[in-house]
Amino acid sequence: MDAQIQRAGGAAGSLTMAATTRAGTARARARPPRVRLEHVIMGGAIGALIVLVVLPLAFLLLGSLRGEEGLSLEHFAEVLSGRLYLSALQNSLILGAWTALFSLLIGLTLAFAVSRTDVPGKGLIRLTATLSYLSPPFLTAIAFVYLFSPNAGLINVFLRDVAGAPWLAFNIFSMPGLVLVTVLHTFPFVFLLAASALQSVDAAYEEAAQILGASKLRTTVSITMPLVAPAVLSGTLLAFVNAIALFGSQAIIGLPGRVVTLPTRIYALFDYPPEYGLASALSLVFVVITVAALYLQRAFLARRSYVTLAGKGARPQLMRLGPSRFVLLGLAALVFLISIVAPYSTLVAVSLSKSWGLDFWKNLTLANYKFILLEYNVTQRAILNSLLLATVAATIAVLLGAVIGWIDLRTRLPGRRLLDYAALIPLGLPGIVVAVALIQFWLAMPLALYGTLAILLLAYVGRYIPLSVRSANASLRQIDPSLEESAQILGASWTATMREITLPLIRPGLFAGWLLVFVPVIQELSASILLFSSSSITLAVAVFNLYETGYTESVAALAMVNMAIIGVAIWLAYKVGGGGIAAGGREGATG
Amino acid sequence: MASITIRGLSKHFGSRDADVAAVSGLDLDIKDNQFVTLLGPSGCGKTTTLRLIAGYLVPDAGTIHVDDRLVSSPGQVIPPDARHMGMVFQSYAVWPHKTVFENVVFGLKIRKVAAAEARRKVEETLALVNLSGLAERYPGELSGGQQQRVALARSLVVEPEILLLDEPLSNLDAKLRERMRGELKVLQRRTGITFVYVTHDQAEALALSDMVAVIHGGRLQQYGTPFEVYSRPANRIVADFMGLVNLVPGTVVEARDGVGTVEAASALRLTVAVPDGTRPGEAIEVAIRPENIRLRAANGAALPARATISERTFLGNISEYQATLDSGQVLRVQTHPLERFAVGDIVAVEVDAAHCSVFRRNPSEPTSDLRADGATA
Repeated sequence: MDAQIQRAGGAAGSLTMAATTRAGTARARARPPRVRLEHVIMGGAIGALIVLVVLPLAFLLLGSLRGEEGLSLEHFAEVLSGRLYLSALQNSLILGAWTALFSLLIGLTLAFAVSRTDVPGKGLIRLTATLSYLSPPFLTAIAFVYLFSPNAGLINVFLRDVAGAPWLAFNIFSMPGLVLVTVLHTFPFVFLLAASALQSVDAAYEEAAQILGASKLRTTVSITMPLVAPAVLSGTLLAFVNAIALFGSQAIIGLPGRVVTLPTRIYALFDYPPEYGLASALSLVFVVITVAALYLQRAFLARRSYVTLAGKGARPQLMRLGPSRFVLLGLAALVFLISIVAPYSTLVAVSLSKSWGLDFWKNLTLANYKFILLEYNVTQRAILNSLLLATVAATIAVLLGAVIGWIDLRTRLPGRRLLDYAALIPLGLPGIVVAVALIQFWLAMPLALYGTLAILLLAYVGRYIPLSVRSANASLRQIDPSLEESAQILGASWTATMREITLPLIRPGLFAGWLLVFVPVIQELSASILLFSSSSITLAVAVFNLYETGYTESVAALAMVNMAIIGVAIWLAYKVGGGGIAAGGREGATG
Repeated sequence: MASITIRGLSKHFGSRDADVAAVSGLDLDIKDNQFVTLLGPSGCGKTTTLRLIAGYLVPDAGTIHVDDRLVSSPGQVIPPDARHMGMVFQSYAVWPHKTVFENVVFGLKIRKVAAAEARRKVEETLALVNLSGLAERYPGELSGGQQQRVALARSLVVEPEILLLDEPLSNLDAKLRERMRGELKVLQRRTGITFVYVTHDQAEALALSDMVAVIHGGRLQQYGTPFEVYSRPANRIVADFMGLVNLVPGTVVEARDGVGTVEAASALRLTVAVPDGTRPGEAIEVAIRPENIRLRAANGAALPARATISERTFLGNISEYQATLDSGQVLRVQTHPLERFAVGDIVAVEVDAAHCSVFRRNPSEPTSDLRADGATA
């Protein structure tokens, strides 16, 4: 036995010496460390993230602090005391608050109806939410101008001239008008999060309350609502963040009504001569609001784990509403009518009419489409630019996202969490802020990127990198590391393992991520509006410019073309991604 | 074929505040052409050791040599793809997007083996693991056992010097596991590849290995043949882990030249091998396997070791009893099923002293009074 103990204890003395001498000779033969391709790729991805996100932000900060002579806080002082800026800040907060409130009311009601009651037409409600979410907000805004502009809006004209009830007329160019148009885009945030939370609450929680004698209503109020409150609040905050970032509707609806908000005020600061310092300071104030809201949102969302974990429980019982379920159906139909039917039928009608007015149907024509597609020389360039940019941006974002996700999950690189956070930063940056930051960074660089397609590309990849990192992360989590390790031990290099094993396995996730980036990029306006030039003009900017120039009917035709392209993209997304767009895009900033 | 020499190997995990030593100061010599098992409970460091050998992990201290090549040291680790080893994972890690053929041929493609040659080798290897005819199937269409064989074939086809196996049988049902166990052993003999096999199943380790390394708490407890670690455990941890054992407290009556007389549970007087330096009067523990205890019907005669049957379990090929000695010590006993006793019977207890081990009481360890029944699974 003694022999065993000694063996077990480690053949100490003599053998150790033998080992060290052997190690000495063998070390010389061991490979010297060399630069491998994987290090280049990973280093490249980290570098790209720095150039895309970190450096522009640093220049934004620097720009806000650069005064007449040296560093100063003068821009912040002006932004936080000047009447123009304070009223923009106030308007943004008012807009955000009202939008969040109405998004909460509409979104939660519809979500409750869909997941907890026997309301008919659930498919319609889901469709309404999805379409509203995917519609480009600035197109909805333009459509509502056709209906409710104070003098020429079709419904206002009808009320004044035909119905003889001018007091019923509604002026869209006002804060209520802006809130209306914005809510149509933001209520789906509440709806989607609330519906999924309501569906995943374990019915046992509610049944336990009922067996103790609580009524249906009491159970809903005291058990169900507290359980889903974190998800609902989180959706409401997302609605807030997205609402205040939408440049398009705030420019189209807000500016004519003298409702100037943060994005439109920042935009105005770029009128000649551009006020970089003030724009940067105002942008940073904007970012603080957004980041604070997103921080709260994450904190709320982190608390909902007990909802999603209860997977085994029975499906919740549906509440029998009786005749009152038709009231809910009516509400749903009204939302569908206002958010989908009204804007799209209006755009179609305007695009086909010779001149928009009460008797537009007397003179239908395709001339607007002919003009837009064949005669207006901007259209084709804009379509090409947008398709090219969206394709390239989505591809780059997805590849970058895959590498960053891989570094985060599969390596022990120090600071990899920091990398992950850096990739999340753009969620808190409204589009126009991204543009302000990029302009300052690239104007300071020796490369003349301003006004080129390249700077738009950088803006898009930077803005939507969080979406692709997130989807790559989710796919990689589902791949057991041993699938990669087994290729490695068979002699496959990192690149071979990536090409043969990892990328093929996460391809569906990557494609979903690709579409997740493609769809918002093709309708991007907030950042593009400051970055485009006549040669790099995009589709959304072309629509906006044409609208600003006053080509009423042609704008609608171009908007329809825009819609068609987005529609095909989304249709593709659903066909391939299985509805992942609506689910995954929830966290993305839009506008 | 290759030998593996491990010296002073250590690996820590975790953050600065919660540092866990997964492996510490491990020394191990794995000879060429051997089937060596790393055995221990989950979390003991055996898988970490395997992953250090494979090169997935960088050691904090120590070295690993394959033959005379230094493959791992804290500053320098040859990556797994340059080690010419094979590895079979617990999860199989068979690529779901590749057919059986594509899975197996992967390593040959990496080695740029000509297509015809590669096809021949794949077919040979598939035949070796009894998978002929399934080459065009996808893993999703295979049973767990078949996927296991694909993983095996994929590692074998490249003719590695060393094959690492990480609990490869743990996801199979009992019957299949036994069959694969036999096949693995045959395969190792036939190929002559050095197998390093990780398992927590002591029966598997005993059945398969040339040598067993019992690892506990990141440290090597004993390294020996299956017979040695079972019948001559180096310490009570090994004795406890290698199957059922009664750890009975006792005292040394006399000791000389490594042999002594001990009295266990105030009743059993045994002449056994004792550790060096054991003194009379010293408290010790005696490890007695249940199969080395015999029970005889007591016929009223005065008995040195008398016990009462307190529990009986019929297990088919054996019967298991719990016999309570007059001192209160409970012994687990396994007998031939035809020897039948009833609960309450008074029996005489005989112990085969030649197969008992004696361990000195380590004052820092809890006494075995904590184990009232004196045995653990």
